[in-house]
Formats: sequence, structure tokens, C-alpha cells
Amino acid sequence: MLAVPLLELSNLAVRFGGLTAVAGLDLAVEAGSLAALIGPNGAGKTTAFNAITGVYAPSGGSVRFLGREIGGARPFAIARLGIARTFQNIRLFRGLTVLENVVAALAGAERSGVRDLLRGRAWREREDSARARAVFLLERLGLERLADARANALAYGEQRRLEIARALATGPKLLLLDEPAAGMNPAEKHALRELVRRLRDEFRLTIVLIDHDVQFVMNLCERVAVLDHGEKIADGRPEAVRRDPKVIEAYLGSEAESA
Amino acid sequence: MRRALVAAGLACAALVVLDVLLPRLLNPYYLTIASRIGIAIIAAVSLQLVNGFTGQFSIGHAGFMAIGAYGSAAASVYLGAGLLDGLAGVLPAPLARALYFPLPLLVGGLAAAAAGLLVGIPTLRLRGDYLAIATLGFGEIIRIGILNLDAVGGARGFSLASPAYPAIDLRFEGLGGIYAVVVLSVLAIARLVHAGGGLAFRAVGEDEIAAESIGVGATRVKVEAFVVSSFFAGVAGALFALSEGYIHTNSFGFTRSFEIVVFVVLGGLGSLSGAIVAAAALTAAPELLRGLGEWRMILYSLLLIATMWLRPQGLLGRRELSLPRWRWRSLRLGARRAPARAQ
Amino acid sequence: MENFLQQLLNGVAWGSIYALIALGFTMVYGVLKLINFAHGEVYMVGAMTGYYAAHALGLARAPSLLGLAATLAIAMTACALLGALIERVAYRPLRSAGRLAPLITAIGVSLLLQNAGQLVFGADPKFFPPLIESREVFRAGAIAVSNIQLAVLSTAMCLMAALEFVVMRTRFGRAMRAVSYDAPAAALMGVKVDRVIQGTFVLGSALAAAAGVLVGLSNPKIDPLMGLLPGLKAFVAAVLGGIGSIPGAMLGGLLLGVVETFVAGYLSSTYRDAIAFVVLVAILLYRPSGILGAPQLEKV
Repeated sequence: MLAVPLLELSNLAVRFGGLTAVAGLDLAVEAGSLAALIGPNGAGKTTAFNAITGVYAPSGGSVRFLGREIGGARPFAIARLGIARTFQNIRLFRGLTVLENVVAALAGAERSGVRDLLRGRAWREREDSARARAVFLLERLGLERLADARANALAYGEQRRLEIARALATGPKLLLLDEPAAGMNPAEKHALRELVRRLRDEFRLTIVLIDHDVQFVMNLCERVAVLDHGEKIADGRPEAVRRDPKVIEAYLGSEAESA
Repeated sequence: MRRALVAAGLACAALVVLDVLLPRLLNPYYLTIASRIGIAIIAAVSLQLVNGFTGQFSIGHAGFMAIGAYGSAAASVYLGAGLLDGLAGVLPAPLARALYFPLPLLVGGLAAAAAGLLVGIPTLRLRGDYLAIATLGFGEIIRIGILNLDAVGGARGFSLASPAYPAIDLRFEGLGGIYAVVVLSVLAIARLVHAGGGLAFRAVGEDEIAAESIGVGATRVKVEAFVVSSFFAGVAGALFALSEGYIHTNSFGFTRSFEIVVFVVLGGLGSLSGAIVAAAALTAAPELLRGLGEWRMILYSLLLIATMWLRPQGLLGRRELSLPRWRWRSLRLGARRAPARAQ
Repeated sequence: MENFLQQLLNGVAWGSIYALIALGFTMVYGVLKLINFAHGEVYMVGAMTGYYAAHALGLARAPSLLGLAATLAIAMTACALLGALIERVAYRPLRSAGRLAPLITAIGVSLLLQNAGQLVFGADPKFFPPLIESREVFRAGAIAVSNIQLAVLSTAMCLMAALEFVVMRTRFGRAMRAVSYDAPAAALMGVKVDRVIQGTFVLGSALAAAAGVLVGLSNPKIDPLMGLLPGLKAFVAAVLGGIGSIPGAMLGGLLLGVVETFVAGYLSSTYRDAIAFVVLVAILLYRPSGILGAPQLEKV
């Protein structure tokens, strides 16, 4: 166990004009753990993710990654520090092929191409190894047969897995998954659970995910934090959290809606 | 190695045909059309990099062409004439001219690229409509600025003739030279876009937020695309100045910018071959259909509107024309003859 | 000092013209989020229509205020119809086609109108007949206020006041504001969004037509390409004031007119046209939402 948590949110606040989306959020994520951020719709979970990854600058509090303050940094800089993510509404590069989506994320290939004009042997070798690495990642996620297919031609579940493959290509230490199980049937969710565990072990990742499906999260994660109206109302092991009366009350209303 | 030799041989043969034979066979009017087509192709392909691939809707391209044209013309008249004169004294004339030819082009291209950097950095923070209007604004600022510069003729236009060296011909009308530049430009941009690093451009064009999430600095990529695109626009402008021999800011207003946007959109945003075909067809057709007079521009605009209704993705959408022997695919990522498996 | 006031007066006069055109841009952007590039051409058609109407009514020989009013009415009606036609034919079919296709179509319509105008009206400039005889109404030292300037200013002010009334005090105005805040929600509330959009085009085009006639009144030389530059400048004015904001368009128009006139008067008239673009670029870089606009956020 690291002395310093991999990711630490201290009193994080995100405000949009008069609306407070996240208030006073404290969260510590240990390296190598599988944690979840849950809560009813509109609780501020994705907003918290966005604040961590730099899409929004925090209105208050701090975000520390590996002990370094990253609040307010540009998203691409945070990505290069080792935080990767997927999106609630899938954001693939639709016009690119599956393979290209992954290669685009490989660190070596992300430099813009002006120096590529002269295609020496070093360039070719870089391209080949990039391609090989991409194929390897696709295999890990069961997508290698689709390597040359257009990203928007994929089935929904395959698109979600491609987004994960792309995130992995950046070689992250922390992987944030936003609603990875949305729209999946129970069998697919089971497969996803296994996949997430396997990825954590094989790539030595720390994974934090957001999901609506309390069941899915409880069976997968070691630590669960619950947000409601932008504030954390519970934080601990799944069994404890599921029995917490505040959590039950927060979900009672939305459970009736989503039933 | 053998392929390179064959290619070089073909290139030389083509140059001979274009520079020597064609002028004897064709009416000068057709030669002018051919050179204008070449220039339009470079303009379209360079704009495609920004609008089509990187997804930034720029409508001020003519401004950069103006900088290239006027920059190269001024350099030719004030500096180049002397240089060419000196070269011609030492070397046989065709060789001197061939060696000199790239210089005004480079000057034009680099000047335009510098302008692209200055314009791009502040402008590319904007999105969508605002970016379009900002680029339009800059294009006009550039044009009006040049219009007020007496050193390059101002409202009277600028001729490519040096008073100090009246005997030196600063014009380069040869189709061979022009099309050599066209081919090189198209190849360069194609390579940039259809390669590993080029994925950064297309990623930003597809989804900026997703691109940032994988470590691609969107602003930096956009500026890079803009600068490269401006460079080639400058080259196109320089070619225009060199081949026409006389330039006026009227050729570089937002009407011209719109024309190039039309090439790119009709050809398909994201298709280089589409832009080439559209640029060639839409430059040639109005010239050849000159008999239509004022109806020409009306047809043009109707064509644009109709395309938006019926086929908004343009002629080729994002795809490229696959000419089997040309091997576009070899320029694309991962399309080697036998797909490499991870070992 | 007197020169300053004279310039100020000229600037306000021009500014009110820009404001009238800018209102059309800002209203259409408000409800459709579309930059109607063809709007400048509507202004040109307004001027042209006014020209032909004035001649048809025999006003060249007998100028009168009534004649001016009639010319305005005819031009505004004609352009209102033109605006509705453009909306129906060019923009409505592309309502769901994203942001790019309508923008390009707008450019196409603009080109079409310019060139059709050249074909129909002839490319040579025409001279607007004097609809009211020019008289000096007021003089204070070296400052002269002609009745034409008064007519331009008062007409413009009246029209803007009328628009303000429509937008703030009528059901249609309320519907328009609802659609500009949130079109789907407005539709769910029973607002006929198509009608509102059409009405917005009608109003904006009528105002642009009035601007065209007023310009013909004060600067008689008109031609089919006269819409290009004023159109762009009016757009800048709309952005300056905050695109989507009606008071913003008025403010932006007046400001731009004054700034332009002062720069042309005190610095250099050759840079006059560039001013608008410099303002545009400055605004977009430092405060894209404009003076009276509100910043926008994107949901990730």
C-alpha cells in the first residue's frame, strides 16, 4: 500500500453560476483498488469525474494525483499524467476504424504528424510497434476481428469495450469508467465485471467507476462512495453502504422511477 | 530503390510533356485554366486539412493566399530579380530558373504560415460559428491591410516586374513547375493526414473532448493544422502571382474564400480526392462555360444549395477515390500487404 | 468640438442602420442558432425594391413624407415575404442537419441573391430618388442636421421601439423568446415553433428592408452588391452586443456606427471597412458572448 493515496479529493466543489453540482467532496482512492462512485441521477458523479480529468476546473478544494495537485490543469495534461477515462455517452472517433481509435491513444503516435513527412526506418518501426500494441489491446478486449471496421459500425457493447481499449492505450495508472454497464443485459454485465477485474490485475490499474446499477457495483468493488445532490453521504465497504439508511433513502425515490 | 527511379523517370517525362509539348499544342487560354486548376487544388487540399480533417470551419483561406501571393511577389520584385539575374549569369538559363523557382514559393509559404500562427493561436480557442466568423474577419483584415500598402501597389494592384532589372522575367508560367508543386503539396498533405501522427488531426476533428482525454492537446493540434494549411495556401498564392504576373486584392476577398470552402464541402469534408475533383471541376467548368455569363455564379450557388439538400456529405464524404495502381492504401495506417500479427 | 458632435451624429445615424440589420441577425440566431448569411442581401433587395417602388409611385418628381412611408411599407412587405421564402426553402429542410449544412446553405443563398440581383437589377449602380427634399432643419454653429438625417434616425428609433413592443408585450414575442431559450421545451408547451421561426425571419427581413430604404434616402447610390459589407458589419454589431440579445443588437449597431465614423474621421478613411473586422476579432477573443450576452457552457 502506498503511503499517499493514488487519487485524493479534498473538499472538492464544482459550481456553475448559481448551481452547485458538487460540494465538499472528500475521497481517497488507494492504488490498486476497485472503487465506485454511485448515487441517484444528477448527484454530481460525472461532474466529479469531469473535475478530476480537467474538463471542468474545480470551483474549490483540491484534486491530488500521486500527491500532485492537478485541479484546473488541462485535460490532455492530466491524461498524460496517467488518468484515463471513458464517457457516459460514448465518445469514440466515429469516422476512424477500431484500430485507429486505439492507435490514436498510444503515446508514441500522439505527436502530430509534421515530422512524419520523411518516412525513415525509425518511423516505420514506431508505426509497426504501435500497431502491434494496439492489436494486443484489442485482443484483450475481444475486438481484434473488428480492427478495420468503422467505429460507428460496432454494436453498442463493442463500442463500450473499444472505449475502454482506447483508454488503456494511454498506459494509465488510474482508469475512470463512467457508466460502463449502461444499456447492458445481465449476461453482458457479468462479462463486464469479469473484464474489469481482469484488467485491474493484468494492467496493474486502479479503477473507479460510476454506475446506476447498485447490484453491479456491489458485486465488483471493494469500496463504494455515495453522492446525493453533490454531497457524499456514505463511503465504505459495499455491505455497509447498502445498509446505510441515508443511502436507502436517497435511492428510494429514484428506484421507484427506474423500476 | 527501383520504384524510386521509375517514379523519378516518370516525373521527368511528365515535366517535359507539360512544359514543352503542351504549350505547343494547346491554346494559351487552356494553359491558363490548367494552371488555375492546379492552384485551386492546392488551395482546396490545404483547406481540407483544417476544415475536413481537423474539423475547424475556417472561411478566411483567401487571406493566407493573399499573403503568399503578395509576399512572394514583393520578394521577387525587390530581392529575387537581382538573385535571378546573378544566377543566370553563372548558370544556363533553364537551370538558373529551375533553381530559383522554389524560392519565391517558400517565401510566400512561410509568410503565410507565420500569419497562420498569429491568427490561429487566438482564434482556434473558439468553436463552430464563432471560429468561422473570426477567420472571415481576419481574412478581410489581411486583405484590407494589403490594399493599403503602397509598396505592393495598393489599389492599383502589383505587377511582377522589377524596375531595376527590366530584362528579367519573374514569371513562371510553365505547367510542369506548377504541377510539380501541386503533386508535392498533395502528397505532403496526404502523408500528414493518413499516417500515425495524423490521427491526432482526425481525432481532434472527430471529438475534441475525447481527443484531450487520450492526451492529445487539441489546441496545439489545431494550430499545427492551421499553420500547415496556411503554408500551402501561401504556396498556392505564390504560384498564382508567379503565373499570372499581376495580382490585385480583389482576387483574395471572401468570395474566393467561399469558393474554396465550396470545393471542400462539395468534394466531401474529409476526402482529399474529393477536394481535388471538386476543385478541378469547379474551376474548369465556369471557364469553359463562360458563355453562360452571369448565370455561371447563379448555377454555382444553386449547386451548393442543392448539394446541401440532397447530399450534405458531398461527393465522396470521407472516403478517398481508390485508384488501384496508386496505392492510396499504402499511405493509410496499418494497410501493409500482410497484416502484421503481434508476436 | 463641433466636428466631434457632427461625427457623433453621423455615427449614430449609421449606427441605427447597422442596428436595424443587426436585429435580424440576432433574432434568427436566437431562435435557430444559425448565422443567416443571406440577411445582408435582404437589405439590398429592400433598397432595390424601394427604388422601383419610389419610381412607380412617381415620387421622383413629387417627394413627400407620405411617399417615404409608402416606399417603406412596400419594401418592408416585399422583403418580409422574401425572408419567409428563404426560411421555408433554404433553412427549414435542413433543420436537423447539424450546424454545418445550414451555414453553407446560408452562404449559398447569399451568393445566389447577389448574383441574381445583378442579373435582375443590372450590375450598374442606381440612384435612389430623393424621397423627401433635403433641407437643413437645425444648425448650431458648424453642425448641420438635415431633415434626412432626422428622418433616418426617427424611423429607425420608431421601428426599434415597435420591435421591442412586439418582443416584450405580445404573445408572439413571448413565443419567440421561449423558442430562443429552449426550442424543444417551447414546442412541448404548445408553441408552434415553425410559425415562430417564420415570423422571426419576417420581422428581421422587414427591418433590414427599412434599413435599405433609409440608406437609399441618405446615400442614394445603390447596387446589387451593396449588401455584402453592411451585412457583415451588422453581423459584427450583433456579436458585439451579444448575439441573440435584441437590446444587444441595438447597442452593438450604434456603437459600431459611432466607432467606425470616428476612426474614419479622425484616423484614416481607407481603414474604415477594416474597423468592423478588428472589432469582431477583438470581441471574439476577449468576450465572445458580447456586451450584453451570457456565456455558454457545454455539457460533457
